[in-house]
Amino acid sequence: MLLFRAEDHRDKWLAQRGLRHGATLSVVQQWDLARTWYGDNRLSRDWRRRTPEEAQAVFDSLGLTGPFWNLSP
Amino acid sequence: MVSTPSTLDDDVRVFVYRFMVDNERPPMPIEIGTALGTGSAEVEAALKRLADAHLLVLAPGTPYIWFANPLSALPSPYPVVAGGKQYFGICIWDALGVIAMLGEDGSVTSLCPDCGDEMTLLVRDGEIEPRDYVVHYAIPAAYWWDDIGYT
Repeated sequence: MLLFRAEDHRDKWLAQRGLRHGATLSVVQQWDLARTWYGDNRLSRDWRRRTPEEAQAVFDSLGLTGPFWNLSP
Repeated sequence: MVSTPSTLDDDVRVFVYRFMVDNERPPMPIEIGTALGTGSAEVEAALKRLADAHLLVLAPGTPYIWFANPLSALPSPYPVVAGGKQYFGICIWDALGVIAMLGEDGSVTSLCPDCGDEMTLLVRDGEIEPRDYVVHYAIPAAYWWDDIGYT
């Protein structure tokens, strides 16, 4: 997951390496994902890793849907 | 009380996270064992089980912690400052995740891989600025753990 200044910088960087576009998030989307994913009290002894279904629900709740975000293709 | 593998694994996992938060580096197995009153061989076995369960990642071929998401043991292109300390995230998701996990204000500074311009993201009171950068994901979610270092 790489941070780029803008979409045209992303496109240039991918093209120079012959890489295909995967998925792009805005910074706000990325922050929402980070705080949902990691704001889960994992410093606690009671923390448990999300099941694939729970992880998928996190993506769904943030509008990250479609084949790219499907954990069980 | 004798720790079962399950409770030892929980103890090790929590110790690793709290140690990394406090000390800005991962603990060695011997440090974990000393703190928990168990042998380093038992700790290394626990770390292996935690890695197999994708609860942390070991440096290839070693019992040493590479990252305990979102905290990276090694310097990366995504340094984080939060709570008056410096950490590293293996990617921008994890770098912001450090700030989220700690519940602190913080910042992430990196360079655009294309142009090399410095970019700093600031999180204050739960809000992030600036908002005009973009994050690219190369690997579909189903395959992230196939090669987590590359992901």
